[in-house]
Amino acid sequence: MSGTASLDQQQDASPQETSRGSHPFTESHLRDLVGREFPGGEFTIEPHRQWLLNDVVLGRPGGFPEPGSLAHPLYVYLSTGAMGITWDELFEWCGAAAEDGPMFGEHETDVISPLLVGSTYTVTGRIVSGVRKAGRRAGVFDIVAYTLDIADAAGERVASTTNSIVFPRRSE
Amino acid sequence: MNRSLPNVDEVLPVWVNESVDPERMKTMAALLDDSNPIHFDLMTLKKLGMGDRQVNQGPSNLGYILNMLEEWAGAGSVRQVRVRFSSNVHAGDCLQAGGTVTRVRQEDGRHFIDCNVHLQIDGGDVALAGTATVIWKEH
Repeated sequence: MSGTASLDQQQDASPQETSRGSHPFTESHLRDLVGREFPGGEFTIEPHRQWLLNDVVLGRPGGFPEPGSLAHPLYVYLSTGAMGITWDELFEWCGAAAEDGPMFGEHETDVISPLLVGSTYTVTGRIVSGVRKAGRRAGVFDIVAYTLDIADAAGERVASTTNSIVFPRRSE
Repeated sequence: MNRSLPNVDEVLPVWVNESVDPERMKTMAALLDDSNPIHFDLMTLKKLGMGDRQVNQGPSNLGYILNMLEEWAGAGSVRQVRVRFSSNVHAGDCLQAGGTVTRVRQEDGRHFIDCNVHLQIDGGDVALAGTATVIWKEH
């Protein structure tokens, strides 16, 4: 997923199916997707990965990070790496593939306690919404949102992230 | 040294990325395990008719907004960010992350600052925009 969504003139789509090959992904499939749980997993904010992430996004320079220091807040989004399925598998859940051009729609980060370098976190999550729409220029597309909850070693939720993906659909 | 609370309508200090570096997109692709070649392979971009500049990862664009907030309010200050991605950022783009204070509130003895935030492409569109909340540290 890479591009970003610019879908003006959005409106609810009239009932119809879209297809990927011979497998139609209907609005019924979209509704059934909501509530589906991710397998989940764990991730550890390794110091070298924190250094690399900070360098990539031009964060505050501060030398090699010590365990226990504050991680870049973008690490809340990076918890997607521990949702327990690959991007390709998530796209497959949504009746799509990377070559269909899924786009990043909206993002939300919620932080209760900042994430720390060297700490290990548990990730759980689920699909929280699925909506079919149509745009004058974009045609039919689905917006699928998922939420991931991040818990510390004590099992306390410390942060969450909700992201939506826009899937362009080819009408049948 | 204590610092005073910001005021509503106060403009946040602008954070600037003078030129988006395509080399950093390669590292980000590895960190995200993002296999999409539009972030690093010019041949693919040309084949897809997407021009001759790599497309920056959306999370990196979000990261610039987070940098802007932390440089202003302090490390570990971000409590919430909600943004909508509206335009792609390409290699070589000059970006400005900024925002405006919309509300100052107190809860449980702590001050929270709500803001509108955006990432502007110099000479182009707004790449993403939304809202954010930071916890205000007095020093």
